[in-house]
Amino acid sequence: MKHSNLKTWFITGASKGLGLALATKLLKEGYAVAATSRNAKNFSETLLQDKNFLALQTDLSDENSIRNAAAQTVKHFGKIDVVVNNAGYGIGGAIEELSENEISQSFDVNVFATLKVIKAVMPYLRAQRSGHIINISSIAGFAAATGWAVYAAVKFAVVGLSEVLAEDVKEFGIHVTVVEPGAFRTQFLTPESLVLAQNPIEDYTAIRKSHERYASFDGAQIGDPEKAASVFIDLVKNPNPPIRLFLGSDAYKRATEKVQILHDDLQNWKAVSISTDFN
Amino acid sequence: MSTKKVWFITGASQGFGLILAKQLLEKGDFVAATSRRKSDLEAAISPKSDHFLPLEMNLTDENNVKKAIDETIATFGKIDHIINNAGYGLLGAVEELSDAEARQNFDVNVFGSLNVIRQSLPHLRKQQSGHIFNIASIGGYLGDFPGFGIYCATKFAVVGFSEAMAIELKEFGINVTAVLPGYFRTNFLTSGSLATPKNPLDGYKSTRDSQELHQQQINNNQPGNPEKGAAAIIQIAGEKNPPVHLFLGSDAYELAKTKAENMMTELEDWKSVTVNTDF
Repeated sequence: MKHSNLKTWFITGASKGLGLALATKLLKEGYAVAATSRNAKNFSETLLQDKNFLALQTDLSDENSIRNAAAQTVKHFGKIDVVVNNAGYGIGGAIEELSENEISQSFDVNVFATLKVIKAVMPYLRAQRSGHIINISSIAGFAAATGWAVYAAVKFAVVGLSEVLAEDVKEFGIHVTVVEPGAFRTQFLTPESLVLAQNPIEDYTAIRKSHERYASFDGAQIGDPEKAASVFIDLVKNPNPPIRLFLGSDAYKRATEKVQILHDDLQNWKAVSISTDFN
Repeated sequence: MSTKKVWFITGASQGFGLILAKQLLEKGDFVAATSRRKSDLEAAISPKSDHFLPLEMNLTDENNVKKAIDETIATFGKIDHIINNAGYGLLGAVEELSDAEARQNFDVNVFGSLNVIRQSLPHLRKQQSGHIFNIASIGGYLGDFPGFGIYCATKFAVVGFSEAMAIELKEFGINVTAVLPGYFRTNFLTSGSLATPKNPLDGYKSTRDSQELHQQQINNNQPGNPEKGAAAIIQIAGEKNPPVHLFLGSDAYELAKTKAENMMTELEDWKSVTVNTDF
C-alpha cells in the first residue's frame, strides 16, 4: 500500500508514555504511524483499527526483529520519514547497589536498541536522501540527579551519540534531534515502569530520600505529553531543526543551572586546565 | 602505614596511566597498576619496588576486578585514589559498526569502570574517604567529533554517572572527578590503539575524512603533554574540594567554553518551545 504525501513515522515503545501520545496525535492529523511494542496486544483497539496505523510486535534487543519492523514499514507505507527512538525506562540505585546485569539491561534498552534501530533505518533514509531521527533522552541526559547514576549514563550516552550522528548523516540530508524532556505525566514513575536496585544498601540514605521524592511526583508531573507530541510534529516541519531540544519548564531550569555549574567549574579550574599543553 | 597515598590505576601499561604511575612512584606513593598482561607492566615499570603492585586484570570480568582490588587492600591496607583510565577510541559511523564493535567499546570504557567502582566502594565507604577519577574525554561533553559517535556515547556516559556519583558519595566523604582531556600526545590515535569499523560503508565521506585527519594530522601533533596532564591529576587529588569536571588542555578548555556559550544561546532561542509543554 502506498501512502499519501504525509510523512510516515516509525516510533519505538509506542504503547505508552510520550510515544503513545505522539502516535495518537499523528493519527488524528492523518499521518502514517508504524509503532513497535514488545507485544502488539499492548496497543488499544482505537489505534489498531486506524488504517494509518501499523502495529509491529518487535523485540528491540534483536537486530533481525528490528530490521523486519523497518522493512515491514517500508513495504506497508512505501517509506520511513521520521524515526522516534522512544522506548526506554528509568533505573534507580547507586552503582554499588546495581548488579552488572541490571546495568547491562538498562543499556540494552536505552542505548543499544537505539543504535540497532538507527542501523536498521539508515539504509532507507540514505537512499531517499531525507529523514529525521529523533532520539528521546531526558533532562537527566544533561544534568544528572541523585540516585539515578546509571540512568544518567544511558541518557548522556544518547545525547553524545546524537550530537555526533547529526554531523555524520548531514551529508545525506538527514536531520537528528535529541529531545531532553523534564518530568512528563506518563507511567514513567509507576512501579511497573521504573526499575529500582533489587539489593539496596542501607547506608545510601541520600539516594533513598531522592527516590521517595521522585515517587511522590507520580501523577503530578508538570509536563503535558500531548503538548510534547505537538512539539515533535512541529519539529519535523522545521527546515532547520535543533540538534538538542529541552522540553518542560523544569528541564529548562535544570539545564540552565547545569550550564552555569559547568561554566563555574571551567573558570575556577582554568589555571589547571590550560597548564598541560606542550610549551 | 605511612601518610603516603595508595593509588589504583587501570590501563597503566601505556599512555597516560603509565606516566601517572611513574610520577607517583617517584613521589613515593603506592601504586597498584592493572593491565591485561602483567608482563607489560613489569617491563614498563622497573626496577621492582615494594611501592609498586603490578596486577593482571581483565576489566570486563567483575570477579577478576574484585580480586585485583582485594589484592591491593591486602598489600597496601587501603585505597585512596582510583583512576579509571583504561579505555580506547573507536572511529566509525554508527551504521558501519556492528553491535559487537559498539558493545566492546562500552564494555571497556563504561562497564569496566563500573566494575571497578562497584568493587572498590565497599572499602572506600568503610574508610569514609577516597577520590575516584573517571577519565572521560572532551568528547564526553561535546559531540563535535565526526565518526566518534559510539566513543562519545561511552564518554558522555562516564561524565553522566560521575556527576551522579559525586553527589551520592558525598555523605561518605568520597570525591568524584570526571576528567575531560583534549588531545594529548599518547598513542591513543595510533592504529594499534584506535579501533575502526571492520566493514566500512561507501558514502560516509565525512567519517573517512575524520579518520584521515586524526590518523595523519592530529596524531603526534596533539597539543597536550601527558606528563603535565598526569601532574594536574596529582594536584587535583590533593585538593580538599576538587571539581566534578576537570577539563585538561587549552583545546578542551576552549571547546568547553564555546559549548557552554552555545548551550546558553540555544536554550534561549528555543525557550518558548521548551517551556510551553507544561500543563
